[in-house]
Amino acid sequence: MMAMLDPIFATILLATHGTSGGAFPIAHAMDNLGWAGLILWLPLISMLLCGVCAAMKVRSKAPAIITVILLALSFLVTFALFFNYESPVTIHLFAWFDIQWEGGGFVAPFSLYVDQLTLLWMLFVTGLGTLIALYASEYMEPDLGGGYARFFAGVSVFLFAMSSLVMGDNLVMLYLGWEGVGFASYWLIGYYYQKPSAVAAAKKAFIVNRIGDLGLALGLYLIYHYFGSIQFTEIFASIQHGVDPATAQKGGWTLAAIPFLLMLGAFGKSAQFPLFVWLPDAMEGPTPVSALIHAATMVTAGVYLLCRMAPLMSGLSCSALGIEEWPLFFGWTMPAIDALAMVAWVGGLTALLAATIGMAQYDIKRIMAYSTVSQLGYMFVGVGVLTTYGAAYHVFTHAFFKAVLFLTCGAIMHGFAGQLDLRKLSGLRHMKGWKVVSYTMLYGCLCLIGFPIISSGFYSKDLIMAQAFITQGPGFTALGVIMVITALLTAYYTFRVWFRVCAGEPHYEMGDEHHAPGDDHGGSDHDHHEPHPPGITINFVLIVISIGAVMTIFLGSWVKDMVNGSSAMMVDHHDDLADYWHKWMPYIASAAGLLGGGIAWWFHLANRKAADTVRSTLLSNPMIRWLPTAMENKWYVDEIYHALIRAPLWAGGHLLYLFDKYIVDFAFVDGIAKLPRLMAKAFQPLQNGVLQSYAVHMAGGVALVTVLIIGHAAFLHYWNLIVTFIVNIWASMFGGAA
Amino acid sequence: MMHLLAQTDSFGSVELGHYLMTSSVLFVIGLIGFLTRRNMIVMFLCTELMFQAAAIAMIAFSRFHHDLSGQVFVIFILTIAAAEAALALSLVVLLYRRKETLSAEAWSELRET
Amino acid sequence: MDPKLFLTASVICIFASVAMWMLVKANTRAAKGIAAIVGIAAFLGLLSNVGMSQIESTQKPEVFFYLFSLIAIACSVMMITSAKPVYSALYFVMVVLSSASLFLLLQAEFMAFALIIVYAGAILITYMFVLMLAQQASDPEMEQEQAEYDVNPREPAAACIVGFVMLTLLSSMIFQSMSDMPTPPSASDSRIAAWQTFDSMLGSKQEIAFVQRVIPAENAGWNGVHDDDGNLIRFEGDEAYIQIAQGEETLRVVLEDRFAPSNVELVGFDLIAKFPVSLELAGVILLMAMFGAVILARRQIELSEDEVREAAGMARISFEALEPDSNGGESP
Repeated sequence: MMAMLDPIFATILLATHGTSGGAFPIAHAMDNLGWAGLILWLPLISMLLCGVCAAMKVRSKAPAIITVILLALSFLVTFALFFNYESPVTIHLFAWFDIQWEGGGFVAPFSLYVDQLTLLWMLFVTGLGTLIALYASEYMEPDLGGGYARFFAGVSVFLFAMSSLVMGDNLVMLYLGWEGVGFASYWLIGYYYQKPSAVAAAKKAFIVNRIGDLGLALGLYLIYHYFGSIQFTEIFASIQHGVDPATAQKGGWTLAAIPFLLMLGAFGKSAQFPLFVWLPDAMEGPTPVSALIHAATMVTAGVYLLCRMAPLMSGLSCSALGIEEWPLFFGWTMPAIDALAMVAWVGGLTALLAATIGMAQYDIKRIMAYSTVSQLGYMFVGVGVLTTYGAAYHVFTHAFFKAVLFLTCGAIMHGFAGQLDLRKLSGLRHMKGWKVVSYTMLYGCLCLIGFPIISSGFYSKDLIMAQAFITQGPGFTALGVIMVITALLTAYYTFRVWFRVCAGEPHYEMGDEHHAPGDDHGGSDHDHHEPHPPGITINFVLIVISIGAVMTIFLGSWVKDMVNGSSAMMVDHHDDLADYWHKWMPYIASAAGLLGGGIAWWFHLANRKAADTVRSTLLSNPMIRWLPTAMENKWYVDEIYHALIRAPLWAGGHLLYLFDKYIVDFAFVDGIAKLPRLMAKAFQPLQNGVLQSYAVHMAGGVALVTVLIIGHAAFLHYWNLIVTFIVNIWASMFGGAA
Repeated sequence: MMHLLAQTDSFGSVELGHYLMTSSVLFVIGLIGFLTRRNMIVMFLCTELMFQAAAIAMIAFSRFHHDLSGQVFVIFILTIAAAEAALALSLVVLLYRRKETLSAEAWSELRET
Repeated sequence: MDPKLFLTASVICIFASVAMWMLVKANTRAAKGIAAIVGIAAFLGLLSNVGMSQIESTQKPEVFFYLFSLIAIACSVMMITSAKPVYSALYFVMVVLSSASLFLLLQAEFMAFALIIVYAGAILITYMFVLMLAQQASDPEMEQEQAEYDVNPREPAAACIVGFVMLTLLSSMIFQSMSDMPTPPSASDSRIAAWQTFDSMLGSKQEIAFVQRVIPAENAGWNGVHDDDGNLIRFEGDEAYIQIAQGEETLRVVLEDRFAPSNVELVGFDLIAKFPVSLELAGVILLMAMFGAVILARRQIELSEDEVREAAGMARISFEALEPDSNGGESP
C-alpha cells in the first residue's frame, strides 16, 4: 500500500521547509493580454444585468442564468489566461490614480498582477463561484421575483470584488476588492433583511471587519510611506534583497508595524481570534453565500494577503529589522515576536478554540462555520510556520470540501424547512432522494478530518502540521501538538454531525421557518410537513464539487509549483528533521482523525444515549461543569466583547447622550433660548404702557450714553483731584513724621 | 432801556458759561417737567421749555462766535416749535375727544400686561 | 448802573408788580380799579424813565443776566409745579419773556422780539385755547376741583434722578471747558464782525451816508492791491474804512459807526443768503403742520356701512336676508 502511495508522498516530502528571502520572480508589463480584464468585467456586467432584471421585476430565473453564464465565461477566461501564462506579468487596463508631484507621486493604475498565486486563487474563486451560483439558482427558487435578482447581483459584485482583490496590481486595487467583498458579504448576509437576526449579523460582520480593515489601511499607508509606491512590482523590487538599511533606520518601529497591521487586516477578513465572532453569525445569510463567501473564497482573502505580501511579512519582521525587544510600560521590555510567529500562534489557538466551540453546538451550519474558523486557523499556522505552499494548498482543498459541506447543509436546510438541529434529524441516507447529499457530505467530512489517502484534507493538513514541528520558532512544537489535538477534535465534531444527521434510524422534525422569510411565495402552497429532496441541479453541483475535491488530491505538486513560482515562495531545505516529520506526520494525523471519528461513531451512532449520559455526567460534576458550558456558550467570546467593548462604548455613548441632552440641549441650546424670556420677564414691568415711564427710560438711556461718552474723561478728572487731595492730606499729616 | 441793553459793549464778568448754565438748567427743568407731569398739554409745554433752553444756548454761541447762523437756527427752532404745537395740540384735542381726559395714562393699551 | 436810576426803576416795578398782583387776586371792583390806576401809573413812569437813561459808561449787565435768568428759572419751576395747567402756561410766558430779555443781553434783538411775538403771542395762546377747550368741567361742582393727574406727579424721583444726571453732566462739561471758551468779544470786535458780515452779504454797496471822514491813506500798498471803486471794507483799530483812488493818491474813507448794519438786517441777510432752502423747507413744514392740524382736529363723523353704500349710490345690504337659517344650517 505504501508503495502505491509513494508518488503522492513524494510530492509531500518534496514540499517546503520554507525560509523566506531569496530571489523570486517579479512581474513585467505585458501588453497583449488586455482581454484578461474580462475576468473582472464579466461579473460586473452580470451585476448590472441583474440590476436591470430587478428593476424590470423579472419573475423568471433569468438573473441566475445570466449570472451563471457570465461567471462561467469569467472562469473560462481565467482558464485561458492560465494556459497563456508564461511568467508573472502585469496587465494594464486603464489609468486610475495617477498623481504626480515634485519628488514623488501616487500611481495606482487599474491593472492586473498575474502570477501563479493569482491564477491559483482565481481558478477556484471563479470556478466555485460559477458552480455555487448554479446551485443557488435552484436553492433560491422560493425567492423568485423577489430577492432573486438581488441575490445574484450580490454574488456578481462579490466575484468582481474578489477578482479585484486577487488580481489587483497594487494595494489600492486590493483594498478596493477587500472592501468590495466586505460590502458584498454585508449585502448577502443581510439578504433576509426582514429578519432582525440577519440584519444584526450583517452589521456585526461589517463592523468587526472595520477593525481589520483599519489595520490594512494603516499598513497600506505605511507601505506607501516607506516604499514610495503601492504597486506590487515596485514593492517587491524594493524588498527582494532585504530592506534598505537607510529605510530601516528611518522607519524604526513603524516599519516593523507593517506586518502586524497587515496581519490585523488578515485576521479581520479571515475570522481569526479575536475577530472571528462575525463568521458564525454570518450563517444567517443564504447557504450558497455561506458556502461561497464565508467558507471557500472570501475568508481566504486574509491568507491570500499574507501570501501575497509574504516578502514583506518576512522581510520586515522584527528579527530582519534587528528589533530584539518591545518596550512595555514602566520601562519593562518583552522579547520581540515576529509577525509570522504571531500569525502562527493566533491561528493555532483559533483553530483549537473554534474546534472546542464546534464540538458543543447543535446547529449543523454553525458547526460548519466554526470548522471554517478552525481550518482558517490551520491555514494561518501554515503561513506562520513558513509553508505558504501548505497554506495555499489547504485553502485550495478546503475551498472544495467545505463548499461541499455547506452546500449539503444548505440542501438539508432547504429540504427540511430550515431545520438545522442535529438532534432532530437522523438517518438521511436511508431516505429517498437524500443519497447524493449524504454521501457527498460524507466525503466532505472525510476531507475535513483528513481521512488517510482518499481525502484531500489529509495531504494539505499534514503539510501544515508537519511544518509546525520542523520550523524553528517560538514554541512551534507545542503548536504542532495543538494542531494534532485540534485534528482529533475536528474529527469528532465533524462525524458527530454526519453520524447524527445522515446515519442511524430515519427520523426528522421539520423546521418552523419559511425558507425565505418575508417572501409569501411557498408559504401557502408549500407543504412544510414533508421534506422535499434536492433537485437535479443541486445534486449535480454537489457531485461536481465533490469530484473537484477529489481532483485536488492530485494537484498538490501543481499547487506547489504555482506557489513557489510566485512572490509567495519559501525556499525549501531538507534535513533529517524535515524528513522525519514528513514521514511520520501522516500516520499521527490519520490516527488522530480516526480516533476522533471513532469516538463520534460510538457516541453518536452506536450508542447515542451514551452521549447524553456523558453530557449530564459532565454537567453534574461541579469541578468540570464549566468546560461544556463554556464550550456551548462559545467560550463567552461574544459576552467578553460585550463587556470589554460594547458596554464601555454604550456607557460612553450614553454619557455623551446625557451630556448632549442636559448640557448641550438643556443648558446651551434651550438655555440660550430661555434666557431672553427670563430677561424679558425681569424687564416686563418696565413696559407698563405709561408714557412717562417710557420717557424716563429713554432719557435715562440718553443720560447713560452721555455718561459713557463724556463721563469717562470727567471721571478721570475728578479722580485725579480726589487722589491729589488725599495725597496732600496724607503728606501734611504724616510728612513730618516721615 | 432797550437801547442800553442792545448796546452793551461786552459780557463783563458774565461769560458764555453762564448762559450755557442757564440753558442747561432750563432744559433739565423742562425735562423733569415732561417726565413728571401727566397732563398731555403741560407735557407739551415742557417740550417748549426745552426748545427755549436750546434757543438760549444757540443765541449765546452765536454771540460768541460772531456768527449769525445761530440766530437763524433759532428761527427754525421757532418754526418747528410752532408746527409741533399745532400738530400736538390737534392730537391732544383728538385724544381728549375720545376719552374725555388729558391724562397721558389713559392711553396705555399697548402695554405688556 | 446808576443807583438812582435803579432805585427809581425798582420802585416803579414794585408798584407795577403790586398792581398786577392786585389785578389777579382782588375781588372787589374798587380794588381792581385802584390796581389798574396804579399799574398805568407805573407803566407811564417806566416810559418816562426810558428817555432819561443815558449811556455814560460801559454798563455791566451782570445784574440783568442774573435777574432774568433767575426769573426764567423760577418761573420754569413754577410752571412745572403748578397744579393748574393754565398757570403753567402763564409761567411759561414768563419764561419766554425773561429769555427774550437774555436774548437782548446777547445782542439778538430781532430774535428777542420774534420770540415774544411767536411764542408768547401765538403758540401760548393756542395752548390756552386748547386748555380751555379741554378743561370745561362737565359738572359745575367740579369746577374748583383739580384733576387727579394734575395734582399728583408721575415718577418724580426717577425724573429727578435723570435730570440730576443730565444736569451734572452738562454742568461738568461746562465747568471743564471754561478755559476753552472763547474770550468775550470787545465792542469793536462785534462791530467789525457786523461790518464783515455786511460786506460779505452786500458786496459793499455802501452809500455815502456811511462816510464819516476821509483821510489820506498812509500805506497805499496795503495788501499789495487796492480796489479803486472802494468795494472792500477794511479795518484798522476800531475803524472800518474803504480805500478810494483819487488821482494818484489813495484816500481812506472811514465809515461811520452808526451806519453799521443792525441785528435785524444781519439776521435777514443771513437767513436769505445762507439758508434759502432751509427757509423754504420751514415754510413747507409750517404748511404741512397746518394741514395736519386741520385734518386731525376736525370732528370725525362715523358712517355706517349702509350710509357709505348709499353715499356711493349702491344698494343697502339687508343683513336679515343674508343670515343663514339656523335650523337648516345645522341639519346635515
